[in-house]
Amino acid sequence: MARSLGQLRHRPPRYSAAALAWRGLRGHTWPRVWRDPELKTSYDAVVVGGGVHGLATAYYLARNHDITDVAVLDKAYLGSGGSGRNTAIIRANYLTPAGVAFYGRSLQLYNSMAVDLNINVMFSERGHLTLAHTDGALRTMRWRAEVNKLGGVDSSVIGPGEIKKIVPSLDTSDRPRYPILGALYHPPGGIVRHDAVVWGYARAADHLGVEMHQRTEVLDVLCSGGEGPGGKGAGGRVTGVRTNRGDISTPVVINCTAGWASLVSAMAGVRLPIVTHPLQAAVTEPVKMFLPAVVVSGSLHVYVSQTSRGELVFGASVDPVATYSVRGSSEFTEELAGHVLQLMPGISQMRLLRQWAGLCDMTPDYSPVMGFTPVEGFLVDVGWGTYGFKAGPVSGEQMAEVVATGRTPELIEPFALSRFNTGNLVGEKGAAAVGH
Amino acid sequence: MAMSRLGQRPTEVIKRSVTLHFRWNGRSFSGFEGDTVASALAASGQQVFSRSLKYHRPRGILTADYWDPNLMVQVGDDPNVRAGHRLLEEGMDVRAQNVWPSLRFDLKAANSLVGRFLSAGFYYKTFMRPRWLWPSYERVLSAFGPGGRVDIDSPDRYHDKRYTHPDVVVAGAGPAGIEAALAASKAGARVLLVEHEHSVGGHLRYSTRAAEQVALGKLRGTLEASDVEVLTDSTVTGRYEDNWLGIVQRNHPIAVERLIKARAKMLVVAPGLIERPYVFEGNDRPGVITSAAARRLINLWGVKPGERAVVFSANDEGDAAADLRDAGVDVAAVIDGRKGHRINSTRGSRRAVEGVVADGVRIDADLLVVAAGWTAPTSLLNMAGDRPAYDRYAARFFPSNPPDSVLATGGLSGDGTLDELRTHGAATGRLAAARALSVAHRIQARTARARAVGGPEPDWAADDRLPLRRDFHPELFRSDTHGMIDFSEDVGSKDLLAAAREGYDSVELAKRYTTATMGSSQGKLETVNTVAVLAEARGENIGEVGTTVWRPPYAPVSLGALAGRVFEPVRVSPIQPWHEANGVRTILAGQWVRPDHYGDPAAEVRNARSNVGIIDVTPLGKLDLRGPDIPKLLNLLYTNKWSNLAVGKVRYGMMCGEDGVVLDDGVTGRLGEDHYMMTTTSSGAGVVWEWVENWLQTERPDWRVHVTPVTSAYASINVAGPKSRRLVGRVVRDVDLSPEGFAYMEVRSATVAGVAGCFMWRIGFTGDLSYELHVPAGHGMHVWEALIEAGADLGVGPFGMEGQRIMRLEKGHFIVGQDTDGLTMAPSTGLSRLIRLDKENFVGRPELGWSGSRRLPMIVAIQPDHPQTVPDEGCQIVRGDTNEILGRITSSRMSPTLRRSICLGQVEPELAIGGSRVTVLLASGDRIGATVMGHHAHFDPAGERLRG
Repeated sequence: MARSLGQLRHRPPRYSAAALAWRGLRGHTWPRVWRDPELKTSYDAVVVGGGVHGLATAYYLARNHDITDVAVLDKAYLGSGGSGRNTAIIRANYLTPAGVAFYGRSLQLYNSMAVDLNINVMFSERGHLTLAHTDGALRTMRWRAEVNKLGGVDSSVIGPGEIKKIVPSLDTSDRPRYPILGALYHPPGGIVRHDAVVWGYARAADHLGVEMHQRTEVLDVLCSGGEGPGGKGAGGRVTGVRTNRGDISTPVVINCTAGWASLVSAMAGVRLPIVTHPLQAAVTEPVKMFLPAVVVSGSLHVYVSQTSRGELVFGASVDPVATYSVRGSSEFTEELAGHVLQLMPGISQMRLLRQWAGLCDMTPDYSPVMGFTPVEGFLVDVGWGTYGFKAGPVSGEQMAEVVATGRTPELIEPFALSRFNTGNLVGEKGAAAVGH
Repeated sequence: MAMSRLGQRPTEVIKRSVTLHFRWNGRSFSGFEGDTVASALAASGQQVFSRSLKYHRPRGILTADYWDPNLMVQVGDDPNVRAGHRLLEEGMDVRAQNVWPSLRFDLKAANSLVGRFLSAGFYYKTFMRPRWLWPSYERVLSAFGPGGRVDIDSPDRYHDKRYTHPDVVVAGAGPAGIEAALAASKAGARVLLVEHEHSVGGHLRYSTRAAEQVALGKLRGTLEASDVEVLTDSTVTGRYEDNWLGIVQRNHPIAVERLIKARAKMLVVAPGLIERPYVFEGNDRPGVITSAAARRLINLWGVKPGERAVVFSANDEGDAAADLRDAGVDVAAVIDGRKGHRINSTRGSRRAVEGVVADGVRIDADLLVVAAGWTAPTSLLNMAGDRPAYDRYAARFFPSNPPDSVLATGGLSGDGTLDELRTHGAATGRLAAARALSVAHRIQARTARARAVGGPEPDWAADDRLPLRRDFHPELFRSDTHGMIDFSEDVGSKDLLAAAREGYDSVELAKRYTTATMGSSQGKLETVNTVAVLAEARGENIGEVGTTVWRPPYAPVSLGALAGRVFEPVRVSPIQPWHEANGVRTILAGQWVRPDHYGDPAAEVRNARSNVGIIDVTPLGKLDLRGPDIPKLLNLLYTNKWSNLAVGKVRYGMMCGEDGVVLDDGVTGRLGEDHYMMTTTSSGAGVVWEWVENWLQTERPDWRVHVTPVTSAYASINVAGPKSRRLVGRVVRDVDLSPEGFAYMEVRSATVAGVAGCFMWRIGFTGDLSYELHVPAGHGMHVWEALIEAGADLGVGPFGMEGQRIMRLEKGHFIVGQDTDGLTMAPSTGLSRLIRLDKENFVGRPELGWSGSRRLPMIVAIQPDHPQTVPDEGCQIVRGDTNEILGRITSSRMSPTLRRSICLGQVEPELAIGGSRVTVLLASGDRIGATVMGHHAHFDPAGERLRG
């Protein structure tokens, strides 16, 4: 049951042009976007990780299920992990029916997010092109387009002529290497302001009574009854978490910590088939808009879009070496630049302004792990690899349902942890490897 | 009053005998050689160089150097050029960016009228409804975006890279950096000294003090006479793991920009200090400049920055009053920040300062020169893992604990007289050289193929430098009024305080919300003031708030420089000239350009099926294996058994990943006792090589197997068709080709058309009698032409990839990566007899073992009911009229042999029975009926032809 406005725990000011004008005229400032309450010693549920997944989970727990005694804990600041480091691409043109249905729902939620959360997340539905440079890639594009169509997702294969019309800066000439033979065109795909999504969920969750606690690091997950040391592991149940600010008792802990997911799960004695790799990204200085769509090339391991400020934002595939270091490498920017110039030779004077890295929790089948674990009360929403941001809203919605109902909704059944015991893996590798 | 050119200065870098002409916003201007774009314009009386991002306020010179946020211009098709740094060239076309219709009259300045509504982050709070209008708002917002224009049709420019391995790299050629470089070089180190500006000397270059000029002259002389390699107009942009440095050289004579990658044993960081702007009302009005800017303008370029100045100074080094007086500027007042005096605001028009209010008193002036204090550019230290610490007494950050291989000197390390700084620099250079020796020794000792190491490793030199002292500097960040903090992002102190009140009170959140420090200098001018205002809001000190993380690059690098000379080679077989001379249509397969067909692939197939065809399969991956443990390796990597392969025999094998998913397939033949040849798919050649090496090197290092990739060492030609034996017999004399003498799945060494050292095997990807000849690549063309010539009367003809694909589809052979995908486990291929779970172990076995009970999709042959309908590859197999997916078509062609459409596909296991009826959803949306075949082979299921 969705809550109506009348049920809000406190009534913060709504954002609107009129409110901006009124405050501008009166010289009034805005109150805190989310409050800064004292950390309590007990909650109905604790979400670990203040990124878009954790915040969305908390928001939907409160909004859809009236579970509001919830704390979201983050060891740094909200959105400091993958949510603030991704390249903010939103799309639903996945390869498997499970992926298409899931990301399709996420796309819907992104579409209505500005109104739902009353914050402009600047979703720019500008179209998404996945280029094919080989016959084989073109075949996979056709396959994806067919699966997308069947799943109700707008997606089709287009030729070089049409590609050139959509993105004139692409070199569609008949080149020996990496010719552009066609593309999977996904008009509803686009980019969004990632920070605004984080703040929007935090603000909306705060309005419903959820507490956000930054600089609150979970040091241990407290369990009892499990077969492992400290009552952890299979057969046990969660009793709370230990943080750098003290212990919290809670029957439900939801792990939404992306790159640190396997470490936090290990605190509950839960092993995950996850390896953490850095994923690098970079941004150029701004120039006037010339790239009106998101462009992805799997063969060239690059995706690029131009923000509304005019910067090009680039990403590639994960670094080959597993590490928690986010310092980035020179090789990354060099390869990236070489590949981008293969696609758009005319922009060699654009200057790279900044590079960074985030951490990706990679699973063997490039699909997430969502739902229950062998430890009662310890739930995971992890394994989000390089595609977590675009799935944030739907993940929150579904995880909230898991917590509230104790059942796994159909939409996320394919992503259960148990699939690694039954072998029913999800085949998203083809669409996810660089497909942002 | 505008700026103007002064008479000759002793320190100037301009050459007044060479006049350069250029255009600024369409009008003609001139300057001198040695001028920057900005100094030439300033000398010509230009005050306004840009408009600010949000409010489009006119902006003038602020720091007169690379980091000046107000001097971003368009030069020709080059956007975002730093006019404070870029040297003037004859004929330059310079334009202001982000103005409409012109810099002088900018309609977007109307924004300033509604400024009170454009508080930081205002765009998050509006435009939510109606949703259909957002795309229009979005276009308007992006029209207000900063930056110049990129011309997507810009011609290719030459870029280059250089690799170097100096002992010591010194970043920054001020007095301390030069001394460090000289001392290290004198101690025997190979030294690279990198200076961001156009000449060495740091702040000495624009000093008028006689002693400093003498010192600079001597330093330059010594440097020139030394072995130190000096790069000017170059920047160390990044410090990565183990002192892997990125250096961008902007003044290379040929390359537009050159990226130099240096593996330095030691890095000395000596960038000096950056003068920090001061925050007060009207601090962004043209006419407010930093003291370094004033001294640079006067002493480097002979530009008089104004007529009547107020000088605000909080340190001796920044006191520009003497320079101003020397240049004939009337110094109306010197306000000493150390004594508690404050600038409150400037007054004047939007385009120029007319007065300065200090301590509440207005002073008429057209120039305000500000020396509020210094910012330590700690970026490179931060990239090395250091977390610089804030010192309230000195009002700046200092290195705290950089790694042993990174040393700081100069202003970054502390304060001192010129002599003290030089002494510290020299000590740092000696320390760097000593440590570099240790590192060199270590590298040599630990490198497998190193030359003999001379003696024991030298002791790691201790840091016994006398530390520089830290002088008192007042914490002057914001005055008692509000002003601009981030000039390039148009973020003021009010915006930051408002953001902090809204809860965006950590430096990272405030940065993201207001965009402060996200502009062209990436916070070099702005970060400390941003942090100071947040500290004010939180009632904490700067150290407690902390800074954002500095990330590479230190200065922006063009994509062209990063890419360098893009080297994307195309591979062709040695037979390619023949193909081209014979009407080939090529296809790209990985790096290879291959013959797709020669005009009529169906005819090529018919000819091969009835006569004999030859195809160039050189890209086929080939790994030469030698050693006694090869059977173990093959047993480990393939799913079938290999222990009993006799010399002269060939076997087909399938490889899986550890997840049991098909990775690659191919045949491997035993050429001799300890000599095998493994083939892989063409696209898998590189992956399989890595795969094999990975297992050998990391898991089974004790196995004696040598792997040599020989893909392009052999030209490979497949001879296929009923007359292939006759054709091969005409070029091979030393092998018994009778069916008994050389049977299906056997390999022989042979002399082919007189070429010794060849091998050939009988295999059957096409489904016909066929011989695959592998000849030394240099003789590929000869053998190909010999086959064409010898088989003229047999009707020999070439066929390409397309013909081969048709023939293999007719035969029902799957292609890894086309008919299989990232989840296709070995049993799905239908080749269960090749999966020997009774083997001791092989890669993928555990997974395949317990997945036996799973319902796996199966690869099957499919024939559409309508023989002329060829479904596109990728079409889905669905349940009846529903959208439920039951499989897909993975390969489809019209078969010239069977004269009907044929397919391979993957279907749910219950449909994988001969005779099952399926529905195929065509790309057009039509649904057609099709039948699953009882056997993969549409053609010759018994295999009589290929065994014949």
